[in-house]
Amino acid sequence: MAQSGKGKLNYRCPSCFMRDLDIDMFYDKEKKEYYCLRCQYSGTEEDVLEKNEMIRFRYRDMMKRFDKFDFD
Amino acid sequence: MDKLILNLIHRPEMVPEYAEKVTGHGKTEDIGRKALLTESLDIFKVQQEAAHKNGLKTTIQMTYASLFNDEAVALAKEHHETYGDEIALSLLGLPCKEFRDKYKTKDFCIWMFSMEDKKQIVNDVFEKFYERFGFYPESTGSYYMDAELTNYIKEKYPMVKCAVATCWEEGPKAYHTCNNSWYTLFDGGPWAPWIPSKQNTHAPAANEAEDSGIVAIPHLSRDLIACYDGNGSNFGTHPQNVLRGMIYDSKTWEYPYLYNLIDQYRDLAKYNNGYAYNMMFVGPGWMNKMGRWEAPYELLKKSYEDGCAYYGQLKKEDKLMDLTMAEFADYYRGKKRYTEPECALWRDILYGSDKQVFWYCDPYLRACVNMDQGGAIVDLRPYAAKLKWEVGIGTKHVQDASYPFLIQEKYRAGYFTHYAGEGTVRSAKVCYNGEEVDLCLCRTKAHFSEEKDAEGKITRILTLDPVEIEFDGLTVKLQTKEYFEEGGSNIRIERKILEMSDPSAKVEINEYIVACYGTTEYPEDMSGITLEAIGDGKKESIVYEYKCREAAVAGAKEVSAVIPAIETKVSLTAKDTAAEGYIREGYAFSPMFTLGYKKTMADKEVFTTWLNLEKAN
Repeated sequence: MAQSGKGKLNYRCPSCFMRDLDIDMFYDKEKKEYYCLRCQYSGTEEDVLEKNEMIRFRYRDMMKRFDKFDFD
Repeated sequence: MDKLILNLIHRPEMVPEYAEKVTGHGKTEDIGRKALLTESLDIFKVQQEAAHKNGLKTTIQMTYASLFNDEAVALAKEHHETYGDEIALSLLGLPCKEFRDKYKTKDFCIWMFSMEDKKQIVNDVFEKFYERFGFYPESTGSYYMDAELTNYIKEKYPMVKCAVATCWEEGPKAYHTCNNSWYTLFDGGPWAPWIPSKQNTHAPAANEAEDSGIVAIPHLSRDLIACYDGNGSNFGTHPQNVLRGMIYDSKTWEYPYLYNLIDQYRDLAKYNNGYAYNMMFVGPGWMNKMGRWEAPYELLKKSYEDGCAYYGQLKKEDKLMDLTMAEFADYYRGKKRYTEPECALWRDILYGSDKQVFWYCDPYLRACVNMDQGGAIVDLRPYAAKLKWEVGIGTKHVQDASYPFLIQEKYRAGYFTHYAGEGTVRSAKVCYNGEEVDLCLCRTKAHFSEEKDAEGKITRILTLDPVEIEFDGLTVKLQTKEYFEEGGSNIRIERKILEMSDPSAKVEINEYIVACYGTTEYPEDMSGITLEAIGDGKKESIVYEYKCREAAVAGAKEVSAVIPAIETKVSLTAKDTAAEGYIREGYAFSPMFTLGYKKTMADKEVFTTWLNLEKAN
């Protein structure tokens, strides 16, 4: 089995991101999956992208434009 | 109202942070690679172009490595002539072949070197700068500038008047986010420009004698809620940080949050005598051709161009003034008094929570008041101590440059703790017939105002919307007001009972502070802290031994704690002789101390206490 490397983009582990950890993942070309060195997450690029969308659940105002910043 | 002041800073970093690790993956390390040097300079050119085409001038912070590059030097000179950019000198970007050959180390953070090396490096980079440009720089900086470093620079190069001197709340949280491999541990500083004291960079100077001689600016303008809670490097006026936080639509590549963040900073002018400030400083490693994490180069570049375009648009609308760092230092000194605080009533603009906090910073203290917890103080730094805290190799704090806290709700819990013990917080409990309600559970909002007394002394006031406390058989409507008297080194808190469902009822109020000290998530040795309650003719003392003891004095004038490790005395005082002051020692599972006052209150009554901070030698 050959060594792993970086993928075409440098995806972070979505599971670790959820706990405020930025961990680069590596790509296993035989299994065609990204995997995390720190936790047990692994997934295809499609799965990573899907989980990255899920991560945004907490940003409820991510797309809102504010024009008032006080409660007066 | 003044315009938003912008410092836009670029650095030609010949070996950008990240780039060697990321683009060089799978290759043996070679920081002299020609491809790396060329790419780095190209990124700098792209950044400069983004600024200039939007009518913005920049401060070019030359790195040591770039001083050996003729093209980088020529570009800086040309842009200074053409666009009025300031040519300054960064203490970031030290790594290069010349540096490593001379210093025989891979260290690159100026604050972590020994004092001897700091001096030698400063001499080297400043003299190299002079050799290339024929003058010495007026601005410098790093992610952190310790007081000893700044003092040396001012002594040797007195023309320096401005420096990037800290990243706000870049401490254990940033360390954690980087899998405990990013040693920028400097929590506890100001979030907006300040004049550092000679004794401690974080603590602003109270007068000319304490003035370090520079105006410090923070590295980026950070989200004052999101950064305190999460990874600081996701929430700042750094477009690629916003991408790092995944705070954008992955399909449309839109990021309104970035503009909300800038606009909220503009809004802070109303709490700061018309003045508001932004700083944007993106290292070239963030615009790597290989992309950065999930973001391809095209998105990285777009976000930077959009950021500059928004600032440019504000300038065109006459709502923004772009200054170089040296120009800003002059502006700031003309605008601010030493004791004038920085205030920020800040709302959540990302999570949809409507949470609101108030940050206050002056030469004596930095505090965070959380309206979502009834106006509790959830972070407190006792700048009054002006703690001498040397950092770097050869000192007691090689990496840890944070200013110690007395209260930090994330590192020492706050109101909520698991199973037993207490967390750090300054709040109050209201008690009736065996029931007890902490104001931390009363969510509210605050309004800001200022009051000037006959002597011209200004007090900033937070007036919280009244909250209702429901007991079995009694409802109490209570209002909190918090006063920050300029130069007072204290916070006065007033609780007023506005209304009770039974006007003849009596409730007990327990004003308290639970505190400790530290800079990280882990407990420190509390031994030797002295707690005292002092009244007329009566004094109770406890020297901390984790024995869970407590004592009280009726009519106490002061309850206090002296913490030798951080040369700080913290006290609560009250002028009401009907109040009982108490002190409480913690225990091993709860390494805290508590100071408090209990008083019986009737309808329409007001109870006032002061939280005071002093240096304890």
